[in-house]
Amino acid sequence: MNRIDLTIEICGLSGDGTIAAGGLLNEAMSRAGFSALAFDSYPAEIRGFGRCVTRSRFGFDRQIALENQTNLLISLDDEQSLSRLPFLAADAVVLFDNHPPSPVAEGKSIAGHARPAMSLFGAPFRDLAAAASGSAKGRNLAALGVLAGLLNLPVDAFRERIGKKFKSKGEKVAAGNIRSFDAGLEYVLKTYPDRLRPLPVPAAPAGQAEKVLWSGNVAIGEGALAAGLKNYFGYPITPATPIMEYLAARLPAKGGRVLQVEDEISAIGAVLGSFYTGARAMTATSGPGFALMTELITQAVSAESPAVIVDAQRGGPSTGLPTKTEQSDLLAAVFGGPGDTPRIVIAPTDVTECYHLTARAFPLAEKYQTPVIVLTDFYLDNRVENIERPSISADAVADALLKPAPDQAGSYHRYQVTPSGISPRALPGTPGFQHNITGLEHDERGVPDFSPGNHQKMSDKRDRKIQGALADLDPPEEYGDPGPLDVGVVAWGSTFGSALDAVQSARDQGLKVGCLKITALFPYHEDRIQAFMDRSKTILIPELNHSGQLNTLIGHLGRGRIVRLNQSTGIPLYPSTILGKIHELIGEDRS
Amino acid sequence: MSAPKFIIIGNGPAGLEAAITLKEKAPDARLTIISRDPHESYRPKLLPDYIAGQIDRSALMARPFSWYDQIGARLRVGQTAVRLDLHAREVLLDHHERLAFDGLILAVGGQPRIPEPYWVFRDLMLPLKTMADADQWIDRLKDVDDVLIVGGDLTGFAVVRALLALNKKVRFVFGEEALWPTRPTPEIFRQAADRLIRRGVEVVPGKLRRIVRETDGALAVTTTEAQTSAGLVGAFFGLAPDVAFLAESGLAIERGVLVDEHLYAGFPGVYAAGDCAQVYHPQIRDYWVSIGYENARALGRIAALNLAGGLERVNVAAESIFDDDGIRVNTSWWMEFGS
Repeated sequence: MNRIDLTIEICGLSGDGTIAAGGLLNEAMSRAGFSALAFDSYPAEIRGFGRCVTRSRFGFDRQIALENQTNLLISLDDEQSLSRLPFLAADAVVLFDNHPPSPVAEGKSIAGHARPAMSLFGAPFRDLAAAASGSAKGRNLAALGVLAGLLNLPVDAFRERIGKKFKSKGEKVAAGNIRSFDAGLEYVLKTYPDRLRPLPVPAAPAGQAEKVLWSGNVAIGEGALAAGLKNYFGYPITPATPIMEYLAARLPAKGGRVLQVEDEISAIGAVLGSFYTGARAMTATSGPGFALMTELITQAVSAESPAVIVDAQRGGPSTGLPTKTEQSDLLAAVFGGPGDTPRIVIAPTDVTECYHLTARAFPLAEKYQTPVIVLTDFYLDNRVENIERPSISADAVADALLKPAPDQAGSYHRYQVTPSGISPRALPGTPGFQHNITGLEHDERGVPDFSPGNHQKMSDKRDRKIQGALADLDPPEEYGDPGPLDVGVVAWGSTFGSALDAVQSARDQGLKVGCLKITALFPYHEDRIQAFMDRSKTILIPELNHSGQLNTLIGHLGRGRIVRLNQSTGIPLYPSTILGKIHELIGEDRS
Repeated sequence: MSAPKFIIIGNGPAGLEAAITLKEKAPDARLTIISRDPHESYRPKLLPDYIAGQIDRSALMARPFSWYDQIGARLRVGQTAVRLDLHAREVLLDHHERLAFDGLILAVGGQPRIPEPYWVFRDLMLPLKTMADADQWIDRLKDVDDVLIVGGDLTGFAVVRALLALNKKVRFVFGEEALWPTRPTPEIFRQAADRLIRRGVEVVPGKLRRIVRETDGALAVTTTEAQTSAGLVGAFFGLAPDVAFLAESGLAIERGVLVDEHLYAGFPGVYAAGDCAQVYHPQIRDYWVSIGYENARALGRIAALNLAGGLERVNVAAESIFDDDGIRVNTSWWMEFGS
């Protein structure tokens, strides 16, 4: 069977239906059996301005990262698409509207810029849609029809998804949009019969598990629902808002509540209050909102209150780059805030892990009575993968509250110092278990106590507790050769997929390289990380930040050469970039 | 003053030669070449050899895409000029993009010509002009043992040679349409027919009347004097200049673009060359089209020289002889019969 590795990009102006077309493409291709990974980027500004781009990578094997080169571009707006030309493969296919409302000046058409080795397929998207449905709005669907015809994709999957997507707008709209799709399909078959490029379609293996096409944000929402989330509090912010939107549509039906509060301070405060009463709660935000939450997060550390906080990172600092990706909140998530405030920070690396780590954040928060920060980023939140529908056992998300023994009634010490650092926690209102909680340093009873010995003791307790959480946190996973490595790549978050893709390519080329995935960022498994670093001649740490924050956090464990690969462009770190660095490092060693 | 902007429409032998010459004589000019074909320029005269499997696809290619970068020319492939506005001095492309020019060379070549009486059989006949045509020939010949050639232009003779090399049975309706646009004498006809027969080709007498596809897929062919059949019918009636898009341009169009002996089309900076040009010969006081690869190249070069400021005349000497294993035809543009 031919190996398929196809990256398709749709580019248009905000309002062209670019994102909608990308979504339909992903759904149809997924339904046809392809593995998919897709990522949209859109402008921070309001509708009507700016460029929208969807990029989808399809194949038979599981897709773990996007690459920087696009094999096929659908241009819904040539002026916008011109900026994408540098990212097209030398032999890329370009589909474009060859009949704009009036002739354009030289250079305004993408056809004037495409390299000769590229293949141009012009089709009158607007005209086809207008003739088929009475409106040129469906030009994005006509373009999908052209694509489907060109690649011989299963058209019924497209028709079915289009019908479903537009059903809410009425049968007439849905039918018109399907006709627009069919018009594009018919056009390409008739116009380019000698240039069609049929794509092999994967055979559906028997007994294949149900697949879902989820974004990272959807997976986070599903994970929270699986964990029995009761209350969600939030304030809208890109790229976390879809989590609130998703839960708003689903949580009430499960007996929970979603409340949009006035700001992020209220959101974290409400989460702490809810969890304090025993009701699982969550909030999701991004860098600027996370900064506002910081004081109350440290209060939760001090008061040992559970909380689940998703920090969906975007480009910073401050309001930064609202619709661009970055991994620059790591140190803020681990250390942010006044005082020594150990807390649990975990970072999924793909959509499936978004589900599992979010679900598991709740019992972790309960058991260790601490804020658990699920650290994602725009590239992970907004990416779409078709994955086997994840599930988690009831045991894995069971109530993990360690309640005090009944015989402690009347003599209950909320912050009892224990070998594990975990103090039994009574829910408020439990007779005989009245207690204080405070952000002030306190003794075992919760009474403020600023004496030197007490502060030392309670700081030790809190640190011991969090370090003990390692037992419940996934150890780093190694990929590649088990022996000595010329280059060992250590990666986290959304960058891991690109790192693994690069390492797989390097191994295919016969290079001795490996990759280490870290999902537990604090506390972290020092021994496992160090063991991997020790067998790597050079350690490469690729990150989407400028300062090398993972290197700052764990670099001290490395006893060999550590090389950082940092990118602060707001766009994902692609496998080819990491592979290039691997080649460079191995080349240096050999020269 | 900015560098002049020249456009060549066509990337065949005439257009390519014009590009080479322009970059040589006007190196500062901004040059754009528009090619309808979605691939590299190729040598059409080698298509029969390609069909015969005597050369591979790469050997057909005249210039790689990288060559255009090297000479600083912009090549637009898979794009077609659909209108010429001589007042605005703009070319409109099929995707509705307007290209302005200071100088223009029309080297659009021709399309396989099918005489009007045979239009109804068009879909049953296979021409050979493009790479796609050649690929279709190769594909169809896998299942076919006998081929009928109708018409009989220079490409047709070369295809006969290719088919014989492939051990195919070849029949030839060698009628009055043969050797168009030259007008050979009956003696030339007879000699050519003899050559074909000596090569093992069955010459079918008469003029094509009818082609019918039988239920078994074979084609039943009727001429005014005989009946025969074939698995595949090749159509070789020469090329018709591909100038329909110029109809409203204001250029003088007859069979092709009428140009003077300098290939000048009557509008400043506008020239035509190759199969699409109909060149005036002051001595015979008439226009004629040329055929063949070498003539196209020669005209492309002259058009470019003149666009670059020269005043070259086309060479009226009969210098281009097509010789296909004894079938010799003078392809120079005003000679009306073979040598």
